[in-house]
Amino acid sequence: MIWKTAWKNVWRNKVRSLVVIISVTIGIFGGIFAVAVMNGAIEQRVDAALNEEIAHIHINHSNLRDNYDIQLFIPDLEQVLETVNATPGVKSVTSRTIITGMANTAAKSAGVQILGIDPETEKKVLKLYETTLPGTGSFFETESRHLLAYIGQDLAKELNIIRYMINDAVIDSLKKRELPEEILIKLAPYKGQRFKSEKSFKKEMKSILTLKEQHAYAVKIAKEAWSFRQRSKMTLTFIDKNQVQTGAVFRIAGIYDIKNNMFEMSQVLVKNEDLMELTGMTSKEMHQLVISLEDTEMTEEVTASLKSALPELEIMHWKEIQPDLAMMTDMIQKFYGVFMVIILAALAFGIVNTMLMVVLERTKELGMLTAIGMNKKRVFSMIMLESVFLSIVGGAVGMAVSKFMITLTARNGINLAGYEEGFEAMGFSAHIYPVISTSFFVTVTILIIVTGILSSIYPALKALKLDPSEALRTE
Amino acid sequence: MKVLEIKNVHKIYNSSEVKVHAVNDISLDFEKGEFAAIVGPSGSGKTTLLNLIGGLDTPTSGEIMVDHTNLAELKSSALIDFRMRNIGFVFQSYNLIPVLTAKENVEFIMSLQKWKREDRDARTFELLKAVGLEDRVNSRPSKLSGGQQQRVAVARALASKPKFVLADEPTANLDSKSTETLLDIMDQLNKEEGITFIFSTHDARVVKKARRVITIEDGKVVSDERKN
Repeated sequence: MIWKTAWKNVWRNKVRSLVVIISVTIGIFGGIFAVAVMNGAIEQRVDAALNEEIAHIHINHSNLRDNYDIQLFIPDLEQVLETVNATPGVKSVTSRTIITGMANTAAKSAGVQILGIDPETEKKVLKLYETTLPGTGSFFETESRHLLAYIGQDLAKELNIIRYMINDAVIDSLKKRELPEEILIKLAPYKGQRFKSEKSFKKEMKSILTLKEQHAYAVKIAKEAWSFRQRSKMTLTFIDKNQVQTGAVFRIAGIYDIKNNMFEMSQVLVKNEDLMELTGMTSKEMHQLVISLEDTEMTEEVTASLKSALPELEIMHWKEIQPDLAMMTDMIQKFYGVFMVIILAALAFGIVNTMLMVVLERTKELGMLTAIGMNKKRVFSMIMLESVFLSIVGGAVGMAVSKFMITLTARNGINLAGYEEGFEAMGFSAHIYPVISTSFFVTVTILIIVTGILSSIYPALKALKLDPSEALRTE
Repeated sequence: MKVLEIKNVHKIYNSSEVKVHAVNDISLDFEKGEFAAIVGPSGSGKTTLLNLIGGLDTPTSGEIMVDHTNLAELKSSALIDFRMRNIGFVFQSYNLIPVLTAKENVEFIMSLQKWKREDRDARTFELLKAVGLEDRVNSRPSKLSGGQQQRVAVARALASKPKFVLADEPTANLDSKSTETLLDIMDQLNKEEGITFIFSTHDARVVKKARRVITIEDGKVVSDERKN
């Protein structure tokens, strides 16, 4: 009967209860949806790191990472490979040579890390090959008599390998993407004009577009206007095995786009056989083994087993290679909890206020209930249940709306193209697919119930202090 | 059999400037099945006396024994529980729970006492039938007239078969027809159930119906008449 009475009491003043319920709904929806977006961005970042950038585990000479000296090969490579392949949980492994050098074009140069890879085994470990920008080539899939390099989009922009041009095709394409006519009119005078670098193109766009237009359309225009000449060239220079400076001209095999500026700027992939020829290394001289696992959850277990089998080598898992990712994945769950607690704490004040009004308005009735035999425990329970019902109804609606919006936006993602540069500078994609676990909904449900209970304590204590004979005299 | 004994009870309210002697050395006994009215002018101490009898207020001195239990010896929670099991209340302004139906209001105390559902239902329908509201069981108080609400309040007060019912000016807000109906119903239930009724009133119709009339003035009993 207490439960039934409390539930009916919630609906006694529908407008007031609805105001509280709506505020809880909005708070819960805002909190969960924001967490889902953050979580989606982080999961995408981790997925990208594991699938496209670093894989799960790296094995190398224990001093390699100090200065990437070309002489620091993995000793007994065949034996090590055998051990790795025999370790349970290992899905595939690829070997690499790593040297530091410079990438140069006629216009510019940049410091890079040159990875000598075997394209076939590399594809089994990482899916970087899937990120090739359409129209820029492929991941070493075509035969060529030239040396080939697979580079990142940002490096291509930096070295002016990617250029920008406005022509009829670009204008038509922008028309199809529903750019307003006034923007197309502003672009018309640039027809046929070629911009050598992204910087000069952006500078020109800034001069003709308003801030609002830049925010809305600059990325779209840049995406349509970039151009790449097949088999563009660049020179890679580096120190060979005998510490002699050497270099060669490489044609661009393809350009990858992984939404991570730092990686795109620094990692140049070439065929191992080409690099060996240029540096004098042999096929048994490899710097690093890159391992992908059957299940990410097994990372620490497999790392530990490899460490005990190969104690003389440096063996690092992805959380050690990129501690920022480790911090994000480990800390973020706690942060989500704190974030929701802050939102619910703010909502709790609204509930406390409402429940205090409830107690004040029902002084006479509470006096009557105490008079006819409703003890303190029951009065407290009734007030507490009313508060919990208010928060649970708001919370349930908030969670349902969140679930609906997350499902809806997860299909096509949320495209924050206007902030693409900023996101990619931090290694995140600006196209975010919100995602949230069921266990988070369970946590939020518990938090909502706790909020309801805590919010009721002060008003309920006020109700308990009522003197029935005095309360009955109030009007 | 005595259900209520009031022995030398005083109630003094100490305000900042003056002491108010609301109840001044009252001693009364009530037998099972009495139908008694406490009458007196406004401010004579009727409601204070009723609050003391009902354990809603504590006397400054003296004893109130309900079925041989001294109310002053009960702790707060035990007193609330004692009230629930032994005393029924009918208030001047009905004081039903507005969100509950007539049936739910009547069965409220029985549910607090954890009566079985079938016993609760049977008792609720028995009482609502007795007060003539068997066709309004699912009506909320806002859909009932003042007289009907007060009849539900009487049914609620009797629901858990208390030792006595305290009714503080139960007819004050009722028209004469509703008053007559309510008094007839209370009279009948008093006789059928053997439950003691104690009213505070200055309504002549209640006084006429009462079989014992206690008059108090300035907190003192000035007369205590039993009718045949």
